[in-house]
Amino acid sequence: MGNLIKTNRSVPIVLALLAGFALLVTVLSEAYGSGGLSVSLTKTLGMTVCLCIIALSMDMVWGYSGILSLGHFAFFALGGYMIGMWLMYARTEDVIAASLAQGQLPATPAELNDAIAVQIFGVVGGDSFPWMWAFSHSLVAQLALVVLVPGILAFVFGWLAFRSRVTGVYLSILTQAMTLALSLYLFQNDTGLRGNNGLSGLQNIPGAEAIPQSQISIWFLWASIAALALAYVFAAWVMSGKFGNVIRGIRDDEARVRFLGYSVEGYKLFVFVVSAIMAGVAGALYYPQAGIINPDELAPIASIYLAVWVAIGGRGRLYGAVIGAAVVSLLSTWFTGGRAPDINLGFYTIQWVDWWTVLLGLGFVLVTLFAPKGLGGLVDLMTRKGEAK
Amino acid sequence: MSTLLEVSGVSVTFDGFRAINNLSFQIGAAELRAVIGPNGAGKTTFMDIVTGKTRPDEGRVLWGEKSVSLLGLNEAQIAREGVGRKFQRPTVFEDQTVADNLMVALKKDRGPLAVLLFRPTPEDHTRVEELASEIGLSDHLQTQAGILSHGQKQWLEIGMLLAQEPRLLLVDEPAAGMTGPERDHTTELLKEAAKTRAVVVVEHDMDFVRKLNCKVTVLHEGSVLAEGSLDHVTSNQEVIDVYLGR
Amino acid sequence: MTRLILAALAALSFLASPVASQDAPDAPLQTILQTHHDLVESASRRTVQTVLDDLIASGLPEVPAFLERWQARELYMRQSDGRFVYVQDEDADPLVLIDIDSGAEIGTAGSREVDQLRANRGVQTVIGAALVQFQLLSPDIATRATALEAIDRAPEPDQMPLIATMLEAETDPDLRADAESLLLRMTIAFGEDEAERVAAIESLAGRIDVQTRAALNPLLATRTGVASQLPEDANIAAVLEPGSDALPRLEAYDILVEEGLAPAFVSADDRRETLIANIEDGQIVGIQVHSLDNEEARIAAYAALVEAGLAPVSPTDEEVDAALAAHVFYEEYREASAAVTSAAEETVSAINTRVSILEMVDLSLDGISLASIYFLAAIGLAITFGVMGVINMAHGEFIMMGAYTGYVVQTIVPDYTVSIVIALPLAFAITFGAGVAMERTVIRWLYSRPLETLLATFGISIALQQITRQIFGAQARPFTAPDWLAGSLSFNDVVAISYIRIAIFVLGVLFFCLLWLILNKTRLGLEVRAVTQNPSMASSMGINPDKINMLTFGLGSGIAGIAGVAIGLFAQVTPELGANYIVQSFMTVVVGGVGNIFGTLAGATMIGFFQKGVEWLNPSNTLAAQTYMILFVILFIQFRPKGIVALKGRAAEM
Repeated sequence: MGNLIKTNRSVPIVLALLAGFALLVTVLSEAYGSGGLSVSLTKTLGMTVCLCIIALSMDMVWGYSGILSLGHFAFFALGGYMIGMWLMYARTEDVIAASLAQGQLPATPAELNDAIAVQIFGVVGGDSFPWMWAFSHSLVAQLALVVLVPGILAFVFGWLAFRSRVTGVYLSILTQAMTLALSLYLFQNDTGLRGNNGLSGLQNIPGAEAIPQSQISIWFLWASIAALALAYVFAAWVMSGKFGNVIRGIRDDEARVRFLGYSVEGYKLFVFVVSAIMAGVAGALYYPQAGIINPDELAPIASIYLAVWVAIGGRGRLYGAVIGAAVVSLLSTWFTGGRAPDINLGFYTIQWVDWWTVLLGLGFVLVTLFAPKGLGGLVDLMTRKGEAK
Repeated sequence: MSTLLEVSGVSVTFDGFRAINNLSFQIGAAELRAVIGPNGAGKTTFMDIVTGKTRPDEGRVLWGEKSVSLLGLNEAQIAREGVGRKFQRPTVFEDQTVADNLMVALKKDRGPLAVLLFRPTPEDHTRVEELASEIGLSDHLQTQAGILSHGQKQWLEIGMLLAQEPRLLLVDEPAAGMTGPERDHTTELLKEAAKTRAVVVVEHDMDFVRKLNCKVTVLHEGSVLAEGSLDHVTSNQEVIDVYLGR
Repeated sequence: MTRLILAALAALSFLASPVASQDAPDAPLQTILQTHHDLVESASRRTVQTVLDDLIASGLPEVPAFLERWQARELYMRQSDGRFVYVQDEDADPLVLIDIDSGAEIGTAGSREVDQLRANRGVQTVIGAALVQFQLLSPDIATRATALEAIDRAPEPDQMPLIATMLEAETDPDLRADAESLLLRMTIAFGEDEAERVAAIESLAGRIDVQTRAALNPLLATRTGVASQLPEDANIAAVLEPGSDALPRLEAYDILVEEGLAPAFVSADDRRETLIANIEDGQIVGIQVHSLDNEEARIAAYAALVEAGLAPVSPTDEEVDAALAAHVFYEEYREASAAVTSAAEETVSAINTRVSILEMVDLSLDGISLASIYFLAAIGLAITFGVMGVINMAHGEFIMMGAYTGYVVQTIVPDYTVSIVIALPLAFAITFGAGVAMERTVIRWLYSRPLETLLATFGISIALQQITRQIFGAQARPFTAPDWLAGSLSFNDVVAISYIRIAIFVLGVLFFCLLWLILNKTRLGLEVRAVTQNPSMASSMGINPDKINMLTFGLGSGIAGIAGVAIGLFAQVTPELGANYIVQSFMTVVVGGVGNIFGTLAGATMIGFFQKGVEWLNPSNTLAAQTYMILFVILFIQFRPKGIVALKGRAAEM
């Protein structure tokens, strides 16, 4: 750890900032503080922190390894689906058990199971549990799947792609195809995850009906901040030292690394899988706060936006990814939430709800053209003044 | 003299163009060899085949005392077998310091997990410093490789190859773009290296080859045209025809 | 119909004699009607047939015209003497009466002195049926066709001789074919003679039209039967084994129960209902209700109820099996004749084979048309991405701009054909301009950074989409194909292709030829290839790479615009139009192999056919087809990373 702090000075700063942030939201929260922070804003902040985690994982593959994945939200959403299955099953089980208890005969396990299945899948015309829900009753199993499913998908996809040396834009297009295929698959009603209805009611934590959302939301915010801190330290640790050097070597000159005797494919696969797992965990934290997940979340455009955040924040530096995700997604929320004041030009009123996308798109062109290092580049400029480099 | 690398009867075709045609080549365990030839003679393709970048259509590439075939191995495996390759353009990791470049190249376990958990020992640091002094970059250990001069980058790359402790070094035009004194240093480095291992230098520059003072193989249209001392091959009429054009 | 009446009237007036007396022998129609006076006056569906039979038997030439007027409620009866007449103008007062035989005026009457004979619906139908035979022989071909269609809608066995009579005189080949086909189908349905029916069925072999299939299928309709022994007189289609896929065990038992051959099986639901019905004070015959939370406990409780005589015995598994074993289950044809059903089986299976072959042909046409669409969408990319190596995520938006150009032109120029002729070059001009502008301002700074080009052009893409949404709104805009592109070219009942798809195919072929010529046979093409392969060398040879890059990018974008017009004709013109095609377009180019338009053609063909093939296996699910198509592409790239048409050797590494 001491070594890590020496090699990556951003670690203690980021950790301190996150701790301060956690303290601040607690003091302002409805549940434990002054109440200046509404429940919905708490959730927005918690979700933003989760987006920072996936941005971090994106930076690992793109910024450090040079793999521009345009399908990272597939892993994020899969993580969300995995935890969502348990949330939905357990919650529905509570509700159904309570309603069956009103009946004249106590329910048998089979009756209970059938009733839950009808409740969950009636909307897509189903009345029994698809195979993929086999472990949905078990929180532990679904938590394991949060890690395993994105990890295995990333492993299989990465193994195939890296083995045949698909690189650069080709790989980007393939990852995009992967997330599109997955989203089209999930859109079908008969694939077992409720088609375009997705999983809903995820904000209701089973067994915690009595606890108000004001409290649950702040817990999730804490958990998200803790996860971000862990992810940051982990990413910094992975990317420091010799492993980081090899990875950056692969980004800059794949052939050189290969002729040094490193199996480039293995390294790429390692980073890709680790990053997919981080994305999955971030998704598992995000969707209980969002309350609903559906196949739209896997649309290719979401993953491109992710790349945009990382690029705006500045790739190849972990804090850049965090800054980018936080700034752009919070600005998006602010502008599209109708809170930004409209600008009246006399002949035309610019409504930010509509024009924000245009501003974002053009802003992104400008950043790419004129500030390829992104916002993180500004931090570099400021810190470098003090250093003798 | 025991044979380290034996290439025999190798041919490779790109879209109907025969880049290598029934090529055979041998080198001993501690030998310096220069490979010369006009453009398109197949020098680079020859190195591609030995290092696993290109698969030949036919022929054998045998390695070491046990005569292992290199054809079934990929680039990284061949590199781990002990074949080091220096490219024509200097390729070092410009984003990283000289010390990091050398540390990455040091002969160690190359597996991802081992590398992830790797922490350099004092011996490793010493070895890096030794290598740096060997290639004349002791004062630049903490310098970013990207801001080194062209010649320094070439040396750094040679240093990285030495750090790999290969048994065979393939060097593509090491002297290109170097000043006179830099060339002399490079010559010394290569000669020193060839005392303990095989070194194959592909070169255009006859003066440089002369300084290496070693056996020369002339390639032409994908096959060996002549082999022997520089004076011997330059007096060969065929070689003169090829170089001067008919 | 009206023409017929007019003709009849003309004929009548020509023949008309000035005065006709009631009982004159030259009024045979009136005579016949008067013999059935009451039946005519108060005609009912059941009784009117007698009158009609007599009328038809008389063979009088006036009968058809008379029947039509009767059916049309244009027949009147004079109250004074019960004579049936027509009136000249039913709104006149007094009414001018017309004789039904001669057509001559026979005086006037006040509207209260005559009764209008309003034939009710039933009578109208019966008259209509009688009229058919006359219509079938009508000199007017439209009348004959209408009559034939009427029979086809509700065929009756006794109409068969009528059609046969008609066929003797029919000269129009189309109508003749229709009539023959109808007669054949009626023979199959109603024929008395088995051999005749079999012959008719066999003569249908190889006919794939829907009518034929509709005529044959009822012959093969079956019902499930059960008996203790296989009945010998029944036309058995198949014997069913209980417990097989065709007849699950419990279904078979249900049939036995339905037929009263076995006691009902008590299902879990029935048991539950019975248990609930017997709850008393939280107990069922002494068993605590709350203990019944599993199936075993419920079975035990039910057994207790049975013992107490409060519930019917449920047969045990052994009893069910025994009952099933004691009976034989079979599928029986509703059609009694085995010769007919086996002929029908054979013919239907021959027809089905033919239909599935034709379906393959149809599927191939679908595949070609889908491939053309992918090709059109991707061909612009084949240039900007394939040749120049620029990842233009805004390519889809150029397609979208082309489609909106078509829409805007159509709002100004109302003629659909003219508007498309204007829209095609205009779309090219607009997107060419947009492409050039984008290349000059953004892309040329990023040639060495392809991944960043991807992100910058994505920024432009979302901005263009949103701006379009601001201008035109989020809902789909109408962009309609001209009439000559509507409809479809159908070869038979199975194989058909819409004209718009043919047009897209033709456009795709044109583009392919044009681009091939431009890239391979023109100076521009040569310079493009020179610049993309070695810009510095090209510029030293006097080629201006800036200009070439600009023109090439403009060309690729312009082609996207034209493709947009074509795609807009069948897809919904929305701001997301282009975004829906972008990933597929990139995959087309990548699968085909970068750097040449043959690759794009191959990629589009492969993807189009693969997707249609999957849709054929699972027709209800186009989403699944797309999913598998993409998975296939991902896997395909593993095995041919450089695409179908790959460049090899050193050229590929540049």
